[in-house]
Amino acid sequence: MSFVSVNIESGSETPVKLTRRALAKQRTRERVLSAARRLFSERGYEGATIRDIAQAAGMSTGAVFASFSDKSELFDEILTADYEVIYAQMKQAAREGETVADALLGLFGVAYSFHLEQLPLLQASIAVSWTRSDAAEKRARTDIKHLFALITDALERGVQAGELKADVDAKLVAEIAWDVYVANYRRAVYDGWTVENLVAHLREQLKLILAGVRA
Amino acid sequence: MRPLGSGVRFDVLKSALRVRRGNCVGVRDEQKQATRERVLVAARDLFNETGYEETTIRAIAERAGVSVGSVFTTFASKAEVLSHVMERRLGDLYAEFDRVLPFLRGSTGDRLCSIFAIHYEFETRRVRLFLAHIAASYSPSNDPGVKPYGRNERLSDMLEQVLQEGVARGDVRGDLDLALTVEVLKACYASNYRMAAARGASAEEMSAAMDKQVALIAAGWAPR
Repeated sequence: MSFVSVNIESGSETPVKLTRRALAKQRTRERVLSAARRLFSERGYEGATIRDIAQAAGMSTGAVFASFSDKSELFDEILTADYEVIYAQMKQAAREGETVADALLGLFGVAYSFHLEQLPLLQASIAVSWTRSDAAEKRARTDIKHLFALITDALERGVQAGELKADVDAKLVAEIAWDVYVANYRRAVYDGWTVENLVAHLREQLKLILAGVRA
Repeated sequence: MRPLGSGVRFDVLKSALRVRRGNCVGVRDEQKQATRERVLVAARDLFNETGYEETTIRAIAERAGVSVGSVFTTFASKAEVLSHVMERRLGDLYAEFDRVLPFLRGSTGDRLCSIFAIHYEFETRRVRLFLAHIAASYSPSNDPGVKPYGRNERLSDMLEQVLQEGVARGDVRGDLDLALTVEVLKACYASNYRMAAARGASAEEMSAAMDKQVALIAAGWAPR
């Protein structure tokens, strides 16, 4: 999954006073991004072409390509923006959990709440994650580390608190927890599960996963 | 000449019609079946060679040597074609499992690892096909003929049966939620295909990853 990327580049632009031309360019980017977000949500990643996106944004395909090198870059940028919105909240929620399970449920719960609001976009991002290009996959792999760090941090805190065994393979536990977290989205897609349903179910799954590593 | 509406003649006509119609349906069914077979084989190969999204119904029809129209009279959509391709492949696999299962030995964890290893071995033969199948499972199709990954009961049933036997043998605790355990195992199993998607990992590498995941989960189901 690739809704995780901290885009440092865009941050570094802000202190510089924007010229009129740069400002126009930024507006163009925003128009493209908002049109793209809508079309990806409506039609999925494959279903939305650059031409459709350009048309929806009221500009030429050439103008879109002036801002984004290809569709996958455009898609990644949308996911990155979303990720930046929720990362801090996930971190906060993980810190507030008293037990390991609560910390993990807190951070995954934030993600469920956020993504259920725009489920079609999430579905598109998961679908793409299975078939994307090598370059896009590498980008996503690097990005996903930030989230994994939140999970392993919570597990390490559990070790320090004496809740989990000292020799726990935190990376392995994080992997399994992540796998079930992602797989559960199918329940939202097919069975109309709410955030509460998902979190309650994940709680049971985590109990099962953590059973073997408790101190 | 008697009018058509009267007795005998009408009955004769009706039965003649019935016979003819019966024959027609038989031939048509056979043709439909043959078209179906050819479409499924062509689609299986194209999905794996060029990718699911990149493969059009037209390309499938061309490879199968049938008309585009006849693909659409057999299947409602490309999603349905993929679903049937997968279901048929799995039919062969599970027939094999029916023979293998009674011979599995070792702990419950070992047995499960063997089952997953056989799956990885089987699916990596046409890995892009399987990746497309998982990807599609997050984007539901409304076509009634589509059965997404994760909704195939046979894998779940098999895993649950192995766990059940483990409970009976005493190496799995009796109060374990078997369905939930199966679900967690299946999530790991599917997710390991990312290794194949990202860097062409072999069946052995995926099996090794799965072995570790099963071992961790198994540590939690050991009777206390």
